[in-house]
Amino acid sequence: MSRARKLALVAGLTLLWLQLLFTVQAEERLKVVATFSIIGDFAQQVGGERIELHTIVGPNADAHVYEPRPADAMALARADVVLTNGLMFEGFLTRLIEASGTTGKTIALTEGADILRDPEGGHYHFYGDHAVFHEAPFDPHAWQSVANAKVYVENIASAFCEADENGCPLYTQNAIAYLAILDDLHKEVGQAIAAIPEGRRVAVVSHHAFRYFEDEYGVVFLAPQGLSTEAEATAADVASLIDGIREQRAAGVFAENISNPRLVEQIADEAGLTLGGTLYSDALSAPDGPASTYVELMRHNATTLSRVLASD
Amino acid sequence: MGRKPLSLTISLLVAGLASGSAQAHDDEATAWRLFIADHSEPVVHVFDAVEGKPLASFDIHGPASLYRSHNGEAVFAVQGSSDVVTAMATGIAFHDHGDHADIEIGEPRLTGTEIEGEYPVHFVEHQGHWAAFFDKEGVARIFRERDALAGSVEIREVDAGVPHHGVVVPYGDYDLVSEPHPEDPSNLPIGIRVQDRDGNQVGDLAECPDLHGEAATGNLMAFACATGLLIVRSSEGEPAIEHLPYADTLPEGKATTLVGGRGLQYFLGNYGPSSVVLIDPSEEEAFRLIQLPTRRVHFAVDPIRARYAYVFTEDGQLHQLDVLGGEITQSLRLTGPYSMDGHWRDPRPRVTVAGESVVVTDPLEGKLHLVDAASFEKTGELEVEDTPFSIVAVGGTGVVHDHDHGHGHDHDHDHDHDHDHDHDHDHDHDHSH
Ligand SMILES: [Zn+2]
Ligand SMILES: [Zn+2]
Repeated sequence: MSRARKLALVAGLTLLWLQLLFTVQAEERLKVVATFSIIGDFAQQVGGERIELHTIVGPNADAHVYEPRPADAMALARADVVLTNGLMFEGFLTRLIEASGTTGKTIALTEGADILRDPEGGHYHFYGDHAVFHEAPFDPHAWQSVANAKVYVENIASAFCEADENGCPLYTQNAIAYLAILDDLHKEVGQAIAAIPEGRRVAVVSHHAFRYFEDEYGVVFLAPQGLSTEAEATAADVASLIDGIREQRAAGVFAENISNPRLVEQIADEAGLTLGGTLYSDALSAPDGPASTYVELMRHNATTLSRVLASD
Repeated sequence: MGRKPLSLTISLLVAGLASGSAQAHDDEATAWRLFIADHSEPVVHVFDAVEGKPLASFDIHGPASLYRSHNGEAVFAVQGSSDVVTAMATGIAFHDHGDHADIEIGEPRLTGTEIEGEYPVHFVEHQGHWAAFFDKEGVARIFRERDALAGSVEIREVDAGVPHHGVVVPYGDYDLVSEPHPEDPSNLPIGIRVQDRDGNQVGDLAECPDLHGEAATGNLMAFACATGLLIVRSSEGEPAIEHLPYADTLPEGKATTLVGGRGLQYFLGNYGPSSVVLIDPSEEEAFRLIQLPTRRVHFAVDPIRARYAYVFTEDGQLHQLDVLGGEITQSLRLTGPYSMDGHWRDPRPRVTVAGESVVVTDPLEGKLHLVDAASFEKTGELEVEDTPFSIVAVGGTGVVHDHDHGHGHDHDHDHDHDHDHDHDHDHDHDHSH
């Protein structure tokens, strides 16, 4: 081979190599893990094409009782940013983070949101004459108020900006646009609920996922299960719920997308009500379902509630 | 009650276990207990794994395989050759309050519950219900753990038809029942049938030739077969069974013992004499084979450090298996050789995890080896009389209430909820008849 040809070849290879390097860098996206589908949607709204998203608990799945897979730990191990709800929502998280050995930054998106405690959660322990009070746990379902969802989105934008400075203008722009959509959504949900006659704003669901919705928009929710789906409702829970339904004149019973409807069906039956449809509590629907994004989820829940509760 | 622990001595200070007892918060307590059955004597020894001290010894009827319950409140001694299952209360209980768990620590004791029948072997828990399968009767006796702890059980029987080496899993309103080999029930069963409470079969037989070995991980259950695994999921309260065939990439072989991951949802099984297989049914490539340096003696998952499992091999080495990477990450020689030649029932080491320590029985030397799970270095030994064999651990960390503080604590910090279970199904017996 002549010297000139050799040089040309080397130059050509170098160019190819540079091109490859460039493509690889251009495609190197921010690796994001979201613990469940709702914050996965928030992350996608803010991050767009610039992030590579792995969502641990998928559509219609229950994060309270989720058992993470080795693949989740491997995704965490590669992650730059780990987006979590916090407030003990993801029972699997501490161990999963430990198992993964991730060096990615873990963010609790409820940080700075308006947080409620479980009104039924405080309990006493008695030791002879001593009573020890355990304060009620925090309610993790903060996304059920759109005002709080905005805090999630702001937290995501700042986490992305910190992890990927070059992408910050894009993340900020996306977040601002999305926050405006959430403002409209907030009004829309408020109006849908306001249209329900005041005496009829009581609904029954299977677990207490909707206290933030209640707090923000004024529908009272009764449920046989507490803040988590983990503990099954006892016969006594169900009996006192039936009393509650009569006392407070609940106007609708709803299934949740993450739970077996059997229990609420039975409750509806005993209370002489019919099942009013499905509310999306702790997860989005599948892509072809009615709540495949957070905006659709809130809209679907608001219209379902208002349709069922307002009608006789 | 049990006899006093007399001739038990501690040969070394148990540094590894003691460091695990460090109290991170002054209203937290950590307790771990080891239950150890002898290879030939009718006795179960209980050790305080944090202090490294014997706590109690219980006389039972024969040599036993030990099983701990999901919540760790009960340990059962399955005494196949003595036709009985004996219930023990571990003395450690947790009460979950959502954001924290309270720990209650009392004495370990025999509860008085004994389940009798001919030749119990496979013994399975599902959500607080246990089924002991009595091979020589072909019958399972099912009872609630709560009742076994209280000392009086109501037994429900499920008859699988003929005597065989079978298994029954109480699965909510249904039972999963092994289908004996039609021509020769002394062969391994050929599948699983689902029965309702009246004994009526629901749906078709789930085929599983050479059915042997079952485990649970999270909300999944699996049975091992010659052709693959049966994976059982709950679908609206009913068991839904799917067959997951072994991958074409695997060499000839099958699993006959399974354990379920804790904190991560996966199964770990034996596969041929000198490898183990990691199984993640949710993955496209569900099987990952891990070759071992020599033949395998026993394996267990780490219920606390979910990333790891442990395998003991006949050359006397304990191996740390990285479940994510699918490879052996560390190895440590602990005992002399324990050849897999000879009878499957011969005394060989068993592995369990108690808090910060991996614990390995060394039956021929009459001791336990303690290995720090984090550094993977040996930290001590405990001497146990005779031939310590089957071993399980229970315990964890919880909140205790100091009587001097009469008001609420701040529970915003994270408590360790590592009071989980390893399901030590350690009869890795050979069915090559
Ligand atoms: Zn929930
Ligand atoms: Zn067996």
